[in-house]
Amino acid sequence: MNKLTFHYFHLMPWPHLPPDFDENYDSAWVTLPNTFYDPIKGHALYNRYLDEIERADKLGWDSVIVNEHHQNAYGTMPSPNIMAAALTQRVKRARIGIVGNALPLHDDPLRVAEEIAMLDVLSGGRIISGFVRGTGMEYFSYNINPTVSRERMDEAHDLIIQAWTRPGPFAFEGEHYNYRYVNTWPRPIQQPHPPIWLPGTASMETIDFAARHKYPYMTVFMPMNQRKRAYEMYRRVAEEKYGYEAQPDQLAFCTPVILGETDDIAMKEGEKYALWLFDKGLKVRPEFFVPPGYMSERSLKAALEGGGFGQKRTFKELVDTGVVIAGSVDTVIEKLSYYTDVLHANMLVTGGHVGEMPDYLVLKFQEMMAKEVMPHFREKVTQTAERPAEVVS
Amino acid sequence: MTADEASSVATSLERPERTIDVRGLPTHMFEAGASSSPPLLYLHGTYLGNLWLDFHRQLTRHFHVFAPDTPGFGLTPRPDWMRDMSDYVLYFRDLLDTLGIEKAALVGHSLGGWMAAELAVWYPERVEKLVLTNSVGIRVKGSPIADLFAMNAQEVMMACFDDFSAAAPLMPAEMNVDYLIGQYRQLTTLASLAWNPSYDPKLERRLARITCPTLIVWGEHDRLIPPIYAEAFQRAIAGSEVVMLSGTGHMPMFEQPQEWSAVIADFLRK
Repeated sequence: MNKLTFHYFHLMPWPHLPPDFDENYDSAWVTLPNTFYDPIKGHALYNRYLDEIERADKLGWDSVIVNEHHQNAYGTMPSPNIMAAALTQRVKRARIGIVGNALPLHDDPLRVAEEIAMLDVLSGGRIISGFVRGTGMEYFSYNINPTVSRERMDEAHDLIIQAWTRPGPFAFEGEHYNYRYVNTWPRPIQQPHPPIWLPGTASMETIDFAARHKYPYMTVFMPMNQRKRAYEMYRRVAEEKYGYEAQPDQLAFCTPVILGETDDIAMKEGEKYALWLFDKGLKVRPEFFVPPGYMSERSLKAALEGGGFGQKRTFKELVDTGVVIAGSVDTVIEKLSYYTDVLHANMLVTGGHVGEMPDYLVLKFQEMMAKEVMPHFREKVTQTAERPAEVVS
Repeated sequence: MTADEASSVATSLERPERTIDVRGLPTHMFEAGASSSPPLLYLHGTYLGNLWLDFHRQLTRHFHVFAPDTPGFGLTPRPDWMRDMSDYVLYFRDLLDTLGIEKAALVGHSLGGWMAAELAVWYPERVEKLVLTNSVGIRVKGSPIADLFAMNAQEVMMACFDDFSAAAPLMPAEMNVDYLIGQYRQLTTLASLAWNPSYDPKLERRLARITCPTLIVWGEHDRLIPPIYAEAFQRAIAGSEVVMLSGTGHMPMFEQPQEWSAVIADFLRK
């Protein structure tokens, strides 16, 4: 087995924020005027991002990943399934992940079941289907009641799995979703259904849900101590509550990786580009971040006791705490090896592009990653009975 | 001073509180005033449970005041199934039954005003007179109420108070995690009732069913629920009257407890 699998994650951000953003705008979400979005530039940007993802496929990433966000500059894919559809025509080898569709935001989750099934058929069975609740901000943007977010998540999940796996037609009788006829056409290629991933920010409820269903749990932009706690919790819940041993391919980590010729170059480039993600893209009013009922009281308590929300951190602090990885090839390999060898987490989810990073630097990252980092973690091709020895170099 | 007034003065020095069982729901409430006085049920707004203040005491001079903590606020828990206004309407009817009150004057503030209006629509026989003060429950297109969910504590205070010194009873002794969790729990109750829609689309039409004398009291500087809502309630409730208090906003009972309670007592005693 490969020690680490590589998943190319793209947010497709809108980097062109107004020059006075820091001083005069308190959020890149919900209320940032959409007049800052220029559709003509957006056309070029979307296609540049798609080119970048296509290169990741050619350079050997295991999957490419898009996701859903609404009314913000951080990620401009309100419908990730549309992007995934475009990718089915460009990405010929890698899996295509949507991580994920924000289920509770949609009053009709059957549509998600249908679209993922379409994508799975279109891609020849290469879809990874992530499910998320959506950020707190999106409950404002979509005006969905956050107090029933988790219930809708659980119920929409059950509906979608059934829609993919139960012969139709059948009735679905939920508290939030009701259908007299569930009978999705088409059905997905992958059996019993496309793999499900669950990204999270360490809420105990999501970890429990992932462990219960044996879905990979992905820690997103968290400090190392939180990631460790999340993985420990996943393992413990898997073992004590659900009676199995969690495997490395159930533990994913989403982290920006800044790769430079030297540690110093990586730190400088990271400071210049990756800080955009935290200082601008994720600049959010705390009230938007945690709408009422979105978090359980115990998760909120844990978050508040852990220092609360939205503290500003320097790039060095982000690196030191393990939110971000930055360094030379050797440093990056060492840090990734900590995940594989110590934490036994073997799915790296990272993109090349952050903020305003120019494409040539993205390309540099992709090539260094593919040629110098990936091979370190790939299974060495070994002699097998079926293959003549001389074929193996 | 009458004997009744003397007894209310005596209770004003303490918190005349107790917990009663309303169909299995332990309800924390304040009760004061002469038992021979007409009953008055006061329904508070968001974040405003578990308070016994000057304005309550003013009302006890003429009324037997019942001031429960609405489930999900103050010290009354909200069971998970209590999720929409109809649950609260039934709850308050049960509360009146539990207290043995056949008919009461209803005074509701803000979210409590919405509840009072619904109660008067559904159980008119239980409502002697109705007072809505700085109330939600309806929508006036083009004049949105402030988005309480998007506001931080300071912004809420700015929107609610003209006179910050009047907000003293709402200031926590310590801004700790437990306090923040408590606030979050209360805002969650509000969200379960009023995230979307933030009003009852059918209420405005149904207000025509209210036949009891109705008073609408507003602070003219209400930045949370613009005074145009007072006019809308007045138009919808036949024969209702509006009193607009000057120099105050969303919290007239905090900022002008004498004037606010005098206006209400005068109306209820007419």
